[in-house]
Amino acid sequence: MDISYNWLRDLTGVSVEPRPLAERLTMAGLAVDAVHEKGDDHVLEFDLTSNRPDCLSHLGIAREAAALTGAQVKLPDLTAKNVEGRAEQFTAVEIEDPNLCPRYAARVVRGVKIQPSPEWLVRRLQAIGQRPINNVADVTNFVMHELGQPLHAFDLAKLSEFRIVVRRARAGEKIRTLDGVERELDEQMLVIADAARAVAVAGVMGGEETEISDATADVLIESAYFDPQSVRRTSKLLGLQTEASYRFERGVDYEGVRRAQDRCVALICELAGGTATEDAIDVYPKRITPPTVRLRPRRVEELTGLKVSAEESRRILDSLGFEPAAGEVEDGELTFGVPTWRTDVRIEEDLVEEVARVYGYDKIGEALPPSPVTGEYLVGDRRRRAARQVLTAAGSNEAVSISFIEESSGVDETGASRFELLPGLQQVEGEGAWVALSNPIIEGARLMRPSLLPGLLEATRHNFNHGTRDVRLFETGRVFAASAGSDGGGESRPVEVESFALLVTGEALEDGKAAGRPSDFFDLKGALEAAADAMRVGALEFETASVRHLREGQAARVRVGGREVGNAGRLSEELAARYKFRQPVYVAEVSLSELLAVGERPARYTPLPRYPGVSRDVSLVADRRVAFGEMRRTILSLGIEECRGVALVDVYEGANMPEGKRSLTLRVEYRADDRTLRDEEVDAMHARVVAALEGEFGAQLRG
Amino acid sequence: MSSEAVDYDAQVAAVREAFEREFERFARFQGGAGTEGLSLGEAETLLRELGELRTRHTAKKSALAQLMKLIGRVPAEERAAFGQRVQALNNEVATKLDEAQAALDNRIGQLKVERERVDVTLPGRRPRRGHLHPITLLRQRIEDIFVSMGYAVEDGPEVETDFYNFTALNIPELHPARSPQDTFYTTDGLSLRSQTSTVQIHAMQKRRPPLRVVAPGRVFRRDTPDATHNPMFFQVEGLLVDRGINMGHLKGTLSEFVRRLFGPDTRTRFRPSYFPFTEPSMEADYSCFKCGGAGCRLCKGSGWIELGGSGMVHPNVLKAVNIDPEEFSGFAFGLGIDRMCGLMYELDDIRLLFENDLRFLEQF
Ligand SMILES: [Zn+2]
Repeated sequence: MDISYNWLRDLTGVSVEPRPLAERLTMAGLAVDAVHEKGDDHVLEFDLTSNRPDCLSHLGIAREAAALTGAQVKLPDLTAKNVEGRAEQFTAVEIEDPNLCPRYAARVVRGVKIQPSPEWLVRRLQAIGQRPINNVADVTNFVMHELGQPLHAFDLAKLSEFRIVVRRARAGEKIRTLDGVERELDEQMLVIADAARAVAVAGVMGGEETEISDATADVLIESAYFDPQSVRRTSKLLGLQTEASYRFERGVDYEGVRRAQDRCVALICELAGGTATEDAIDVYPKRITPPTVRLRPRRVEELTGLKVSAEESRRILDSLGFEPAAGEVEDGELTFGVPTWRTDVRIEEDLVEEVARVYGYDKIGEALPPSPVTGEYLVGDRRRRAARQVLTAAGSNEAVSISFIEESSGVDETGASRFELLPGLQQVEGEGAWVALSNPIIEGARLMRPSLLPGLLEATRHNFNHGTRDVRLFETGRVFAASAGSDGGGESRPVEVESFALLVTGEALEDGKAAGRPSDFFDLKGALEAAADAMRVGALEFETASVRHLREGQAARVRVGGREVGNAGRLSEELAARYKFRQPVYVAEVSLSELLAVGERPARYTPLPRYPGVSRDVSLVADRRVAFGEMRRTILSLGIEECRGVALVDVYEGANMPEGKRSLTLRVEYRADDRTLRDEEVDAMHARVVAALEGEFGAQLRG
Repeated sequence: MSSEAVDYDAQVAAVREAFEREFERFARFQGGAGTEGLSLGEAETLLRELGELRTRHTAKKSALAQLMKLIGRVPAEERAAFGQRVQALNNEVATKLDEAQAALDNRIGQLKVERERVDVTLPGRRPRRGHLHPITLLRQRIEDIFVSMGYAVEDGPEVETDFYNFTALNIPELHPARSPQDTFYTTDGLSLRSQTSTVQIHAMQKRRPPLRVVAPGRVFRRDTPDATHNPMFFQVEGLLVDRGINMGHLKGTLSEFVRRLFGPDTRTRFRPSYFPFTEPSMEADYSCFKCGGAGCRLCKGSGWIELGGSGMVHPNVLKAVNIDPEEFSGFAFGLGIDRMCGLMYELDDIRLLFENDLRFLEQF
C-alpha cells in the first residue's frame, strides 16, 4: 500500500523527514519496504501485516506516526458548504440482513456537476498510484485512502423508487458490475438493491447501471459496515478483489462510517457544487460495542523485559487512542476501551505488545535464558548421520525429493502399488490405501509418496537427460500410507514411516576410483551393508525373493536379526521401460524406523589370537542356484570349534563350465586358542567341510 | 750380513706416484667441482670405479698398507721421519678419495632428485566422494547450535489434523491460511502441515515445562513452483517455555544463534510483527553476511536479511495444551532453512534444491 508523505503531514503536522519516519514506522511494526521520491512528494510503500486493517489509510498511518513522534492527528473539515433538507425526503434505507450489514448510512447531494477533479486532488491520487476519473468518483476514492472507509456513489435518479434495500441476492440473480462483467450471484451473497434489482455487490463493487455519468445530477453516497467474512466469501467466489473488499474483509471502523461520509459529502459540495442533505439516513440496527481490556502494568516487564512505568504505559496507549476506563482501578490494574478501529486488540498480551512496540523493541535488553535442561538430538540421529557420512564417503550423493508424486508413478491402473512397500506401511487394501491430496498444485502430483523410489527414479531420469550416466543417490524421508484404523483418539492420521533408499547405476566405484565396469547388485548391496554397519545394526541378511518392482533373480529381501526391513535388487524391466532406462538400475529401500529400532550392536573385544591360524581353499563346481550363503551356513553349522570363518575367494561362471553350473572357491580359516594346529588336524577338519559341501549340495571338487 | 741402505723415501714416492697415476682422472672432482655435465649413469660408473680404486690403494694388501706395516720395521733413527711421511701420504690419499667421492655422491643425489621431481600441480589421487544435500548440511549446523544451547530436537507428523495445524495454534476457523488455496488437504480432510509450529503442540503435550525444543522438518504450502518458491520447504521451529521468560531471552537466543551461524560480528534487529500463535510477535533480521550490513544485491541494499518470525507464545496456545500462561511464559520462532540456504549459496533458482541434479549436488 502506498502512502503520500505530504498527505500524511497534512493530517499530523509531523516534521520528521520521510526516510527517518519510514524507519520509525518499520521499527514499530508497520513495515515500509521502500521510499520513493515523486515530484515534491515522497511515497512510502508499506507491507502491512494482516492484523492491521486500520492502517490501510493515511489516517491510520497518521495515528501511528503521531503516537511515535508526539504529534497530533488533525481530522479534516467535515462541514458541507450548502445543506438543505433531510435525507429521508429523497431516499429510504432498509436492511433485511443486519448480520451481514450491521450499519448502512446514506446521504444525498443534489445538483452536482460532474467534471474532472482539480489539480491538487489529481496529484494526491496519482502520488499513490490511483487513476483520476471524475470529481465525484475521485472524492470517494480519495476519502477511502484518507480515512480507510470505502464509499460508493450512486446516481440517485437511476435507483428504482430512489431507495436502498440491503438484502441477500436472489437465486440466480445477475448484476453487471462496474468493470463491465456480468456476474451471477448466490443466495449467501449480500447486495445493495433498489426497489427492483441489485445495484451493487455489497462491499465489493458497484453496478454499471447506477454508475455516475456526466449526466448525473443527484448522488447518493453510501457508507457502511459489512460483515468481513461475508465480503471475503463473495469476493473470493466472484474472483473479484477490490480496494473496497480488501478493506471490508479485514474490518473497517464501524464508528468511522459517518465521518467518512461527511468528509466525502463536504468535498463533493466543494468540488462539484450541489446541495447536501443536512443529515444522513443511518441504519445501525446492531450497535457494536468496543471491548475493554485490562492491563496489569507488571505484565509488560514480565513478557518483554522492558521496565515501563504504569504512567508511561498509559501515555503510550492513550496516544494510540485507547481510553482508560474510569473507576475500575484495582491493584494498579488498568482497564482500557479499545478504539473502534483496532479489531486486533482483544487481550492483555495485545496491550503489552502495543506498549512495547511504541516504547521500542530495540530497548529490550538481550539475555540468554537460564538453562535448567540439557540438549539432546533426535533418537538415532547419531546413527543417521553416521550412515550418511559413510555413503557420501563411498561416492553417493544425498537427494531430497518433493513428498508428493504423480499418482501414476506410484500406483498402476488397477490402483495397486508399483512398488513393494516397506513392512508395516500398507495397512489398507484397495482405493483408500493411499494418502492423496484433494488440491494438488503441481499437475498430477497428488499422491503422498508411499516409497522413496519414485523420487530417486525421477531424479535418475533427470540426470540421464542431462548426460550424467553414473548416478549414486540416497535419500531419507517419510513415506505415507493410509492407516488401518483410528488410534482411539478419534484422529486417524496416516502411517508415516521413515524410509531410507539407495540407487546405483552406471560405472562402479571401487575404493573411490572408477572400476571400469558397470555397477551391479553387489555394489548396491555393499553400500547398503556399509550404511548398516555405520549404524551398528549388525549384519544384514539377504534372501532371494520375488519383489514387485525388482527383476526376478536379482531381488532380495533384507532382514536384520530375522526382522524384515526392506528389499534390494535390480529395477524390473517393466519399470525400467517406464522410465526409458537403457542401463541397469539397482535400488534398495529399507525402513529406517525399523533399522533404528534394532538395538545398537555394541563393540566387543575378543583377545587377539595367540596361535597362528591356517587357511585352506576349496574349489567346487555346483549348481548356480546353490547360494554361497547356504554353503557358508552349512560349514559354520558343522560344529567345528576351530573353524573361524568362511570367505569367498572367487566365483567363476565362464566358458568350459557345464550349463547351469559355476565354480566357487571358498577359503576356510582354522585356528585354536590354545595351541598351533597340526597339519593332520586341519586336514581332518577340512575333509569334513568338503564332504559336507559335496553331500549337501552335490558339489564336485575341482582340480 | 751387510745391509744395503734402503731408500725409504723412494718407496713412499713410488706408492704416491702409483696412486696419483690412477687417481688422475678423478682429480678434477676434488673440492666438489668438476661433476657438472655428468649424467647419472656416468657418475654412478665413476663412483664405482672410484670405489675399486680405493680398494686397490687402501685395502689390507695395497702398497700403502704395506708401507704402514713397514713403519715398525724401519731402524729407530729413521722411523719417526718415515712414519710421518707414510702417514702424510695415507692422509692425502684418503682426503683425495673422500673429496672425489663426495663430489660424485653429491652429483648423483642431485640427479636423482631431479629425476624424481613431481609436478605437484597434477591432480591428487583422491577417492570420489559424494555430497550431503545442502539442506542437510545447514540443518545439521542449526541442530548442533541449538543442542549445544540446551534444546532437544523434536519431530512431528507431516500429515496433520486441524487441531495441530491450526486450532491449537490460535488460527481461527475462517483464517485464510486454512483455505485450500494456501494449505494442502488430503482426501480425508487432513492437512499437510503448513508450518513446523505444529511440533510446538506435540512437544508441549509430551514434555511439560520447563522445556526447550527445536523441530526441523518439511512443511507444505500451495505455492506454484518458481525461482523463489517450492510447494515444499524446510523450516526449523524453536520453542522454550519456563517461568519468567520474556522477549529479552528471545532476542538473546536468536542473536546468539546468528552469531554462531554467521560469525561473531553478526548484528540483529527486531521489529514488531504479527503471527496468530505469538503475542507480542516480532520479526528478526540479521546483518547481511555478504556485505556486513553496508548493503548489497543479496540483501536488496538494506544491509539486513530476514531471519524469521518469532514472539512470545500466545496464551491461547499455552491454554490449548493446558499450560497456565500466568505461571509459565515462553517464546517460539520459525526459521526458513531453504531460504537461508538459497541466500548462503546465492542460488538463482530454488527449485534446484529438489531436482537432485548431480551437477548441483556435487557443489556442496
Ligand atoms: Zn548485503
